[in-house]
Amino acid sequence: MTASGPFSLEQTATGWELRLFGDWRLANLAGLDAALAGHAWPEGGGLGLDGSALTGLDSAGLMLIHNRLKEAGIAWSTLALSGFDPERQALIRLVVDRLSAAAPEKKPRRGFIAGIGHGVSQAWRELPGMLTLLGQISEGLVDLVRRPASFRMREFFVQLSAVCIGALPIVAMMTFLIGVVFAYLLGIQIEKYGANIFIVDGVSLAIARELSPMLVAILVAGRSGAAFTAQIGAMKVTEEIDAIATLGLSPVKVLVLPRLLAIVVAMPLLAFFGDLMGVLGAAVIAASQLDITFHTFFMRMHDVLPFSTVTYGLSKTPAFAVAIAFIACRNGFAVSRDARSVGERTTATVVASLMAVIMINALFAILDPSLK
Amino acid sequence: MTPVLEVDSIRTRLGGQLLHDGVGFKVNRGEIVALIGGSGTGKTVLLRECIGLLRPTEGRIRLLGEDLWTLAPADLDALRCRFGVLFQEGALFSSLTVAENVGAPLREHTGLRVGLRDEVVAMKIRLAGLPAEAAHKRPAELSGGMKKRAALARALALEPEMLFLDEPTSGLDPISARAFDELLRTLCDSLGLTALLTTHDLDTLWGLVDRVVVLHDGRVIADGPVPEVARVDHDWIRSYFSAHVQEKRNGNGIGG
Repeated sequence: MTASGPFSLEQTATGWELRLFGDWRLANLAGLDAALAGHAWPEGGGLGLDGSALTGLDSAGLMLIHNRLKEAGIAWSTLALSGFDPERQALIRLVVDRLSAAAPEKKPRRGFIAGIGHGVSQAWRELPGMLTLLGQISEGLVDLVRRPASFRMREFFVQLSAVCIGALPIVAMMTFLIGVVFAYLLGIQIEKYGANIFIVDGVSLAIARELSPMLVAILVAGRSGAAFTAQIGAMKVTEEIDAIATLGLSPVKVLVLPRLLAIVVAMPLLAFFGDLMGVLGAAVIAASQLDITFHTFFMRMHDVLPFSTVTYGLSKTPAFAVAIAFIACRNGFAVSRDARSVGERTTATVVASLMAVIMINALFAILDPSLK
Repeated sequence: MTPVLEVDSIRTRLGGQLLHDGVGFKVNRGEIVALIGGSGTGKTVLLRECIGLLRPTEGRIRLLGEDLWTLAPADLDALRCRFGVLFQEGALFSSLTVAENVGAPLREHTGLRVGLRDEVVAMKIRLAGLPAEAAHKRPAELSGGMKKRAALARALALEPEMLFLDEPTSGLDPISARAFDELLRTLCDSLGLTALLTTHDLDTLWGLVDRVVVLHDGRVIADGPVPEVARVDHDWIRSYFSAHVQEKRNGNGIGG
């Protein structure tokens, strides 16, 4: 008998005897597995298993010898056990009994093509939920026109304050600095032609038409859109949405409409504020770098910036607002009941609403009649 | 019998309030011991002190031959691999499937190849009595009883010598609760586990545990087998166990 490895297999008068040595526990499992790998087992039954030389045995070690013998076609019930003390016999009974139950199947791995298919069908499955929310919002709006008293004023003003007043400092900083940078870069070019005064034409057009509405929309999508999804999602996780519904209230009316209207009201205001700050930033650069006084700057702006350009820029923002609020609320309601889902949906809100804002902006640019 | 856990004159001050004032008891190898007491008597706090999550103000805890609160952080982590904990709500990682939850400690603490690890995980899941299809579900998709079983499978992953369970049957219906008690008894007997649990469930007390330790007013007021403790003449213990009698009588009344 050689006891070099964790087990020995020897022929006896009645058949074969498999002896286990040493510590058959989880800590040594990798080594045991390597020792058992590719070992040949005697065929034709009559195998005995002797555990008298074991110093340790736990469920993992037992599972290993059980599974390896099973893979070799040797059923546990055909083994003649010997040398196991009562404690280990109890362990063997339990583990072997539980191992006879159906094993969990391996999780099927998706291939590349199947992954694309899965993604598309998941996206397709979003559609009914989105249409339902769209319908509920429309119904809520119609109801609001009929019974304006049912509007949740308090929630509306809370949201308006969060979306609008809370965003003022960051909007001011962003648009002011963009105005500064834009005027500075344009000024360097324009100075070469001695056409300093045209800085006003370029800057005011760009800020009022594109920069301010877009920047504000991107900011609101990241700031308020993400907040809407996280708020509604967290309420979904804690079943508050269900509580609202069982109190006979409509979650859409209570949660979505105040947010939607708040963001629709706030966005043009923020964009106009952004216009002012952006132009102010440009005027500061024009005064300090291009010898154009504030007075000259604003007189020139009065001549070259048509009011319709400003209103055109502002008219885009409610469309951005509706898209952001819709995407954010939809993702909030789509949160499933676990912590990870809130994060995933919030990310989805920001990504989808930025894409929506950029696409809507492109659509406005193409459809604008004044450029034709 | 050798004590696996020795709790010695523990004093705990939390938020200016003295929660434990010299608590001491022992848990011997192979025993299932329950810690009972009214709400706010610090059962869970004591459990957290035993598993190294909360340092007691004073006193000593010896767990598996080590003086828990004098260990270096690395030694404490090594000791933590030798016991399993079942938290009250299961505390499963919500972003992982059941199989990944059970596999997590194995991945961190053993160098097993993936195939072998999956075999061990599949075995643990079946040991905990979970159906095969539960393995790839996320915790949010499981019922309360299944969550507890999944959490138990994770607690058993590293072949612990001792189990700590915080309210193992809370939130379960009576049938699932009894089935869970039975599972615990089988596992403890067959795997040679020692267990310390806190509970409010009188049926668990009568059906599962070997010994009960009663906490009241920051002290241990009784320690012994359930029938003995039930006879102790103390107001709180009497009302605690008479609630059980009441419950039984009501149950019989409805049944008959």
